[in-house]
Amino acid sequence: MPELNETIHQPVRLRIMAALVTLSADEEVDFTYLRELLNVTDGNLGAHLRKLEEAGYIAVNKTFVERKPRTYVSATAAGRGVFREHVAALETILKSK
Amino acid sequence: MNISPDEAEEELAAIRAMVGRTRASIAGSGTSINLIVTGIVWLVGYTATQFLAQPAVIAVWIVAAVLGSIVASILGARVAKRVRTPLAGVRARQIALLWAVLVVYCAAAIAITWPLEGRQMTTLIILFVMVGQLAMGLLLSFATVWWTLPVSALVLAVHFLLPDLYYLGMGILVGGAMIVLGLYIRSRW
Repeated sequence: MPELNETIHQPVRLRIMAALVTLSADEEVDFTYLRELLNVTDGNLGAHLRKLEEAGYIAVNKTFVERKPRTYVSATAAGRGVFREHVAALETILKSK
Repeated sequence: MNISPDEAEEELAAIRAMVGRTRASIAGSGTSINLIVTGIVWLVGYTATQFLAQPAVIAVWIVAAVLGSIVASILGARVAKRVRTPLAGVRARQIALLWAVLVVYCAAAIAITWPLEGRQMTTLIILFVMVGQLAMGLLLSFATVWWTLPVSALVLAVHFLLPDLYYLGMGILVGGAMIVLGLYIRSRW
């Protein structure tokens, strides 16, 4: 039976994962764009991304684009799997209503 | 960890909303922008060709094409910074090569069949563009490959059956189809 994931259950982290798993497996998203998409502050997003990165659910890629530092974020295969299981668990709970 | 069915429902709704927002945001990227802008350029250009005199037509085409290229480049570059993929460079090279080859083949076809009327040359160019769009759809795995086939059939129908309204027909058919498809991708993806 699928289980809820406590790390992903947090509302901001849930939305981060929902946004990232929407992308293709080889795509990564810019930090600034993600911040605007989620409507959160830099600090708030950074803190939640660290949690997800520590759990191995996302990968953070710090790089330079046109000589400017940029941070790109993507969902890992493990993160995609855990998110799928979390959604399945939610659907199971909903069916029991 | 336990939550109530109502909480589960709220959480699922939040996920759906985020997925929809992300898709809508990304759908405003490359493909749809290029289709909408190219469609507007073609619609304006061919409508001008139908109703205006030659010098004005050339000016309208140049202005529309230059403005269209600038708008598509700015919007495309903005989106490319948001979401990136290691395959983007490879795809861009494949697309550039495809269009370069098509331009050469189209020029060869025009040279072989020369002299041509403006209408004949336009139909030939549009058919090559449709082949290019079809190939791009197959190359990039879009679910939007189908649209080029009915548009090509209608282009031929207008070419042979409505010569007096030919350029207006091309503007509405090809330009309109690109605009509608671009908006469809934005709204449905």
